[in-house]
Amino acid sequence: MEVTISTAELLTTDGIPLKQSLRKAERRNKLRAFLLVFPLLLFIIVTFVMPIGDMLLRSVDDSQINSVFPNTFEEYKNWDKGADELPPEEVYKSLFFELANGDKRQIGKALTRMNYAKSGWKSLIKKTSREIKKIVKKGEEPVSYKDTFIKINKFWGDPTYWYSFNQMVNDRSSIYYWNALDRTFDEDGDVVLQDEKRRMYIKTWLRTFKVSVYVTIFCLILGFPVAHLLANLPLRYSNLLMIFVLLPFWTSLLVRTTAWIVMLQQNGVINGILVWLGVISDDGRIQMVYNEAGTLIAMTQILLPFMILPLYSVMRVIPKSHMRAAQNLGAKPAMAFWRVYLPQTIPGISAGGLLVFVLAIGYFITPELVGGKDGKLIGSWIAYHLKTTLNWGLCAALGGILLGIMLIFYWLYNKIVGIDNIKLG
Amino acid sequence: MSKFLKAFLFVSLVFVPFAASAVTVASWGGAYTESQQKAYADTYSDPSSIVFENYNGGLGEVRAQVESGSVTWDIVDVLPSDAITGCDEGLFEDISSEIAELSTPGPDGESMLEDMENNGLEYHSGWDCCVPQIFWTYVVFYDPDAFPGEKPDSMADFFDTEKFPGKRGIHTWATGVIEKAMVADGVSPNAVPTVLANQTGAIDRAFEVMDRIKDDVVFWSAGSQPLELVKSGEVIMAIAYNGRVGAANLAEGENFEYIWEGQVLDQEYLCLTAGAPNRDAAIDFMMHASTPEAQAEQAKYITYGPMRASGIPIIENNEPWGPGGVDIMPHMPNTPERLKVSIVSDPQWWSDYGAEINERYAAWMGN
Repeated sequence: MEVTISTAELLTTDGIPLKQSLRKAERRNKLRAFLLVFPLLLFIIVTFVMPIGDMLLRSVDDSQINSVFPNTFEEYKNWDKGADELPPEEVYKSLFFELANGDKRQIGKALTRMNYAKSGWKSLIKKTSREIKKIVKKGEEPVSYKDTFIKINKFWGDPTYWYSFNQMVNDRSSIYYWNALDRTFDEDGDVVLQDEKRRMYIKTWLRTFKVSVYVTIFCLILGFPVAHLLANLPLRYSNLLMIFVLLPFWTSLLVRTTAWIVMLQQNGVINGILVWLGVISDDGRIQMVYNEAGTLIAMTQILLPFMILPLYSVMRVIPKSHMRAAQNLGAKPAMAFWRVYLPQTIPGISAGGLLVFVLAIGYFITPELVGGKDGKLIGSWIAYHLKTTLNWGLCAALGGILLGIMLIFYWLYNKIVGIDNIKLG
Repeated sequence: MSKFLKAFLFVSLVFVPFAASAVTVASWGGAYTESQQKAYADTYSDPSSIVFENYNGGLGEVRAQVESGSVTWDIVDVLPSDAITGCDEGLFEDISSEIAELSTPGPDGESMLEDMENNGLEYHSGWDCCVPQIFWTYVVFYDPDAFPGEKPDSMADFFDTEKFPGKRGIHTWATGVIEKAMVADGVSPNAVPTVLANQTGAIDRAFEVMDRIKDDVVFWSAGSQPLELVKSGEVIMAIAYNGRVGAANLAEGENFEYIWEGQVLDQEYLCLTAGAPNRDAAIDFMMHASTPEAQAEQAKYITYGPMRASGIPIIENNEPWGPGGVDIMPHMPNTPERLKVSIVSDPQWWSDYGAEINERYAAWMGN
């Protein structure tokens, strides 16, 4: 049997087809909704998407130096390193003219960059530039540019300086990422390990990772009972206790960090009490700060509220009757907790854990102050390169890796727990 | 338009031009900036036209301002290595001709740059964009009460834990520590920069010396920490900024002793930001702040030494120079006899090798 459907269109009272009218209304609604969120969208694009995009671009960008020494780099690529110890005459000649005629500021920027590839480039180029300008002024034309360079400074005859060009000859380069992982390019442009004495990034990465995981775990262990207590006490007590959680939360980070130094140092409060109690001898005072232990302790305390608060808000809405029901049905308290209560707190644990971990992995001030010899995290190095060496490419690469780690974690979390399982209240 | 909005626009239109005409100086804050305010701004012909703003050092923010074209700092107070890099990169404006023309000569008619060279300094490209401020130093200090018997008085003692058992406080970056270790290894202080620059393996030697005390080091990272460390007895001696030690002695009644041998002198400069909104007024203030008189004046409020050699006699001949009738000379790092046992840190060398050595230093600390 066939169903017949009327082909005549449904019309609204003013004669416009209903479909069209509905679509129009819907479009208007969508537009209104879009206009409402538009400021937020713009805000996110300007303050979040663009800076991160810019950072990621910087981490692979080497175009500045390529615009200063285009001919030198072009000629450099023709150098057969197996056959000749030093680059061909054309390389020296191009460099001569690019130094003689280049814009002073652009060269200044380029040599800051060159110095990342090999320490010493800065002075070498500056001294050489001065000499070259003198030669040009006198109107002399060198017979051999190579010999002129080597005469100005013997380092121009040192192939290791030239090998470092490998790190810069391309507009787009992965060198900063390799540097961030203790690696560099050798004379053939292959990735090799950095000089053993200065390898520290991998170690710092692992430490950053380790400290963040530990801090998250400690916060969970310490925060869970507190949150549970807060959620189950009568309101007037829990409000009072809540102040103990919030007061440190509102206190300046620096004050809390300094307080920990006073507590933990060898002549500090804790060591003093332990010696007084006779637990340790006066000579055996424990080093608890200016090392990794100090970083762990201080960061755990500082980040604790970020674990307690989401846990608390999730626990508060778990009906107490659930535990009673479980026990009524024969579960021992431990079993009831494990099978009934804990699963319901997962959204809070997830939110708190993720918050603490994200904050910890990029932490800077506290590790800087209490970290001492082996408690500094990767954030300190990002700050160092941002401010002191101006190696923003490396900064961006370090930041990029940090972002990558976070995304991996987010993905893992989503696979295992599910992102819709996260709750802040 | 609401009344409030109108009022707001009116106020901002009226006040913004005034706010913009003040010369903004970015400096390190705290007691240091306070001393600059008193010594340079308050003695200036128009004190209210100078505004200090705090920053944390480094060229990061300056570069961001110059690259984005929205420069708000006219003058930046920087370390010499940053003066060099900033001048090379064009973040600071080359004002060498203005300096030659407008700076105040010394008492014997020597130019400002000659006056600086008389203090053991050598020309570097930072001098084209910047005027000198003060010498500050990484100096070892201790509490004499902690040493009832013999007291340490050399770098060899600082790096000798058998002779003087106990912990030492050292900062978490390499500048200053490397040079001191070289002195402990027998290099004459004045020769340290040359040896570092020219001798292969000099750095390795420094690290070997540092190995001797490594297990007895507490590493600090903020300028106030070494004072706390020594005061609380956490360490028996520490490297610190000499201004902090001077302040503790002069204002807090402490009795700390300095070990001047092997002190590492570093410098501060005022540099003109490229594209500074108040360029001419800023240059005028820079010339005022770099007179020997103004630099000597600063020593009243913080024990950093004038970078112009002719500033020292002004203090010496007018003792007690400090407020409340205290002598300042015992705390000045760059008297002629102390310069003989000092290292003048070589900023060009540090801007060449700083990154590499600091990475190595970090690896050394963590091992």
